[in-house]
Amino acid sequence: MSAFEEEREMMLRVQQADFVVVELTLYTDTHPDDAEALGQWREAIKEAAHVRRQYENRYGPLSLASVPTEQALEIGWRWNSTPWPWQR
Amino acid sequence: MWVYEKKLLYPVEVGTCNPTLAKYLMEQYGGADGELAAALRYMNQRYTVPSKVIGVLNDIATEEFSHLEMLATMIYKLTKDATPEQLVEAGLGAHFVNHGHDLFYENANGVPFTATYIQAKGDPIADLYEDIAAEEKARATYQWLIDVSDDPLINDSLRFLRERENIHSLRFRESVELLKDERDRKKIF
Repeated sequence: MSAFEEEREMMLRVQQADFVVVELTLYTDTHPDDAEALGQWREAIKEAAHVRRQYENRYGPLSLASVPTEQALEIGWRWNSTPWPWQR
Repeated sequence: MWVYEKKLLYPVEVGTCNPTLAKYLMEQYGGADGELAAALRYMNQRYTVPSKVIGVLNDIATEEFSHLEMLATMIYKLTKDATPEQLVEAGLGAHFVNHGHDLFYENANGVPFTATYIQAKGDPIADLYEDIAAEEKARATYQWLIDVSDDPLINDSLRFLRERENIHSLRFRESVELLKDERDRKKIF
């Protein structure tokens, strides 16, 4: 796998994990008493945070809610670094 | 407030430069039943609806902004390498004269976005029925876009968006029921 493909694969995993959170959040908005869904929702948030950390450790923060590593800054990563999502 | 996430909700990949398809996609970018209309409609309604349905409006509005970004990404990628001649041929000559290669909030016919596309009626049931209709119209538009598109990569993203409109419609219909239950309970006491 090329470096490009590897990054895309990890990004896809972040997108998948975050999507589960989006979907379960909407579901629990209208089903606040569904205990099983609430359990899945909590687990989904945990999993999404885990997958996100893996991505960000290699490629830098996806949002300003994550702390950039000193190493990332040393090798020149900046928030303003390309690519932006529409440039991928 | 919002915090930007440097990622798309769902991947957007493009086969080849295709300004004709980009023009059609503008219907869902700045059209009456498009993502901008949806996002602004729900975001504005959330302040005054009963608390039970604020979450649905807040969270769907937020998701619609991520759909808007996906549409923008499609249109950008489909037109960025187009020559002025290709844009004219695709019917985007007037767009190019006014906006160059920039995107603009307009429908497939180049009509600029207007707030008259959306309503806020001060009546949560009336507003939610409008929201359900908006989702169904958006779903239908995505289907017509898939029917005229010959780009399998774009179609993958469009199918995702079409399915999301189904889910949003369902959540809004459940919201109507939550409000009706609440109203009926008040009558009993």
